[in-house]
Amino acid sequence: MAFSATRLTRFCLAALALAVVAASPPRAEAQQPATLVVPQLGEPKTLSPNFASDSLGFAPTSNVYSHLVAIDWGVNKGTGAYGDLAESWSTSDDGKAVTFKLHKTAKWHDGKPVTSHDVKFTFDTVIARKYPAFVVLKNVREITTPDDNTVVLHLIEPEVGFVPMLAQVSTWTGKIYPKHLWEGQDGFDKGPLVNAPVGSGPFRFVRWERGGLVELEANKDYFRGPPKIDRLVFRQVTDVNVARAEFDSGRLQFLNYEYAPPLAEVAALRRDPKVKVVFTPSHFSRDIQLNLTRKPLDKLEVRQAIAHAIDREAMNRLAFSGFWKPAVHASVESQGELINRDARFPAFDRARAEALLDAAGLPRGAGGWRFDISVTNPNFPDCKAMMEVLVQQLRQVGINAKLEQFDQATWFRRQAEKNFDISCYFTRYGPDPDAFREHFMTGGGRNNMSYSNAELDQLATRAATLRDKAERTKIYHQIQSLIVRDLPYINLFDEQKTTIIRTGWSGFNTEPEAFDKAITWFGYYTVTPPGR
Amino acid sequence: MNLRRYVVLRLLQLVPVTLVVIIINFLLVHLAPGDVSIILAGDTADPAYLAAIRERYGLDRPFLEQLWRYLVQVGSGDLGLSFRSREPVFAEIMSRVPATLLLVGTSLGLSVIIGTVIGTWIARRPGSTTDSVVSALAVGLFSVPVFWLGLMLVLFFAVQLQLFPAMGMSSVDGPREGPGRILDILHHMVLPVLALMTVSVGQYVRLARSAVAEVMGESYITTVRAIGFSDRTIMMHYALRNALLPVVTVLGLQLGLVLTGAVLTETVFSWPGLGRLIYDAILARDTPVIMGAFIAMSVTVAFASLVTDLVYAFLDPRVAL
Repeated sequence: MAFSATRLTRFCLAALALAVVAASPPRAEAQQPATLVVPQLGEPKTLSPNFASDSLGFAPTSNVYSHLVAIDWGVNKGTGAYGDLAESWSTSDDGKAVTFKLHKTAKWHDGKPVTSHDVKFTFDTVIARKYPAFVVLKNVREITTPDDNTVVLHLIEPEVGFVPMLAQVSTWTGKIYPKHLWEGQDGFDKGPLVNAPVGSGPFRFVRWERGGLVELEANKDYFRGPPKIDRLVFRQVTDVNVARAEFDSGRLQFLNYEYAPPLAEVAALRRDPKVKVVFTPSHFSRDIQLNLTRKPLDKLEVRQAIAHAIDREAMNRLAFSGFWKPAVHASVESQGELINRDARFPAFDRARAEALLDAAGLPRGAGGWRFDISVTNPNFPDCKAMMEVLVQQLRQVGINAKLEQFDQATWFRRQAEKNFDISCYFTRYGPDPDAFREHFMTGGGRNNMSYSNAELDQLATRAATLRDKAERTKIYHQIQSLIVRDLPYINLFDEQKTTIIRTGWSGFNTEPEAFDKAITWFGYYTVTPPGR
Repeated sequence: MNLRRYVVLRLLQLVPVTLVVIIINFLLVHLAPGDVSIILAGDTADPAYLAAIRERYGLDRPFLEQLWRYLVQVGSGDLGLSFRSREPVFAEIMSRVPATLLLVGTSLGLSVIIGTVIGTWIARRPGSTTDSVVSALAVGLFSVPVFWLGLMLVLFFAVQLQLFPAMGMSSVDGPREGPGRILDILHHMVLPVLALMTVSVGQYVRLARSAVAEVMGESYITTVRAIGFSDRTIMMHYALRNALLPVVTVLGLQLGLVLTGAVLTETVFSWPGLGRLIYDAILARDTPVIMGAFIAMSVTVAFASLVTDLVYAFLDPRVAL
């Protein structure tokens, strides 16, 4: 018989044998060098961070390159900026020149010293080509280098928030490039170093295995001292569930907020002695922007009614299992005394919402609906969870809301074109409160609502140059009063990141012990493996 | 018509096919909202930088001009540079092809062989208990969503038993060359291949079973049986050759999709394949990579159908090329 059962059995056995052979894993895992494998949801676009805003490239490049000044999750306790290559800095009396003194011992990964000329070269190129960091550097008139370790940024206008804003943008883009290797290239997207970076940071670039991983090794000559881990691998794990399974089985030591476990599981995870659950607030909120050019959102009563219709407690329970912090002010908790605690958004009051809508000439019509409106969100899990609840809450007061979700490129485009009614958003309040200008001033870069209030414009412009802290705080309090009165946006929650860490490992950037030391939000310099 | 002339003619057909593919896809990418400048520049970008990117990438030109420039460029054999990594598109695609071929090719090959063997085996006694059970199982497997099956395999084999890895194509600490490297890759292949294979094997079981059962009922089989040939000879020499035709057709169709047919599996297992490259490229509106990948796909489909036709002619002498 050609296809007898015995033959089939034999075939299956052979296949099984093959599988077993393959299964005997080539485990050459030496215990000595400590490797941290950080999962990432996808592939970096490029390893040259200065020409592209690339969320999956932030982590590898932030650990290879250094920055003039940096900021990390320490922003929660009020740190605006701390020096990375800069040892110290001072601002001239007229506020128009910032002088940075550089660390003398910083070296490029090829051994050459890092000098003020590298800083000037990098920033001059960013300014000339209007690369993404230009959003901050556009206020720079000229850069001078009195000596190898001093660099002076001459500003066009005095800007109190300049250094914190530079620190913030540097975590994404605007990293310092070696002049001696990049000079002569046609921009930061050309040449051999685009995807084989040479930096001066705590880790050196080893390899980029396309579709697989980016491997870095400890820079033993790092000017702050070598990191405690020997290897840092950013590995693509494209499925959230698989990453979680690998964490549970102990093969991953750390899951960042991109892989945040459903908050419903947090209670159970907290009971597990092998796992640390870390909540880290930020200086962003999760909120909604209202398009003031769309009817009937142009009516104040309608925006007030929407604010009254929102039950943050219920939203917190349904979307975040009660683990987030509802926000009722036009700011977030990390901003401390900058918060105007007297300026509150309208409280949850469904009857009041209905009354306001009736008064606005929008009574319930056919099917009980007053009007149609669309609610959009980018595909961020937290936005999605919140907006699903919001739609239901609006429908309860007779607003026929429907949810529309878009991929990132489409959503950004629609926001920029002001093609939306109500959208989930992430308003920023720090590292310097000058952020209000970007979001709420007439024509501001993130003012997708088309909000325009001459009084606010004037106040915010003045506050940006004020160096007296008390007076500045007072103005920002006034600005918040205007915002909760006019309601171009409605704040809902303080943003909060959830990370889970295997017990024994410590010093991750979202943990307080790493604040002001991690070198950017994406830095792993401070990570300590078990037993070191 | 002689064979060489036939093959050349078929390959020449590739030119208009590819041209149409390029034009349609160029239009589709163009119609999608948003472009790469927003992805690269970020949401706080300076308008001047957005404009600079569009100019550098030629996105500021009229659609027809962009299309013409692209066609001229492809005509000269250059697929251009990726908008994102600024590396040659051809190299980007080729760096992902081996991983995908290895994964999809292995599982396709295994499922054809195993499926045909099982299908043929149960076709000998249509209607028997074995036939009913195996057939039902085959339909069941065919209906399983591959990402779900992948996750279940991960839970069982990677997490519970810790037998096989679930992430990527090689270990971070694994050997980079030699037999150790091959073993390492084989070890990583087991789960994704199993997931893909389990889903597609059912199809071949069903196909082979019905084809063989049908052929076995033909009068020429009754004739050879009456002559007194053994079951084995009948199956191998007379039945299978005809019964395999539908299997070859389906295999040909699937071969055409070999480069892109496994995006879900590649995602579950973080496999560094072409499917994910295309997916990422589409999300980032990386036109050169998207177009390059579509060209590669249309070439594969054309080749697969050519090979299918050649095999057909070999298996069935009635088919003249």
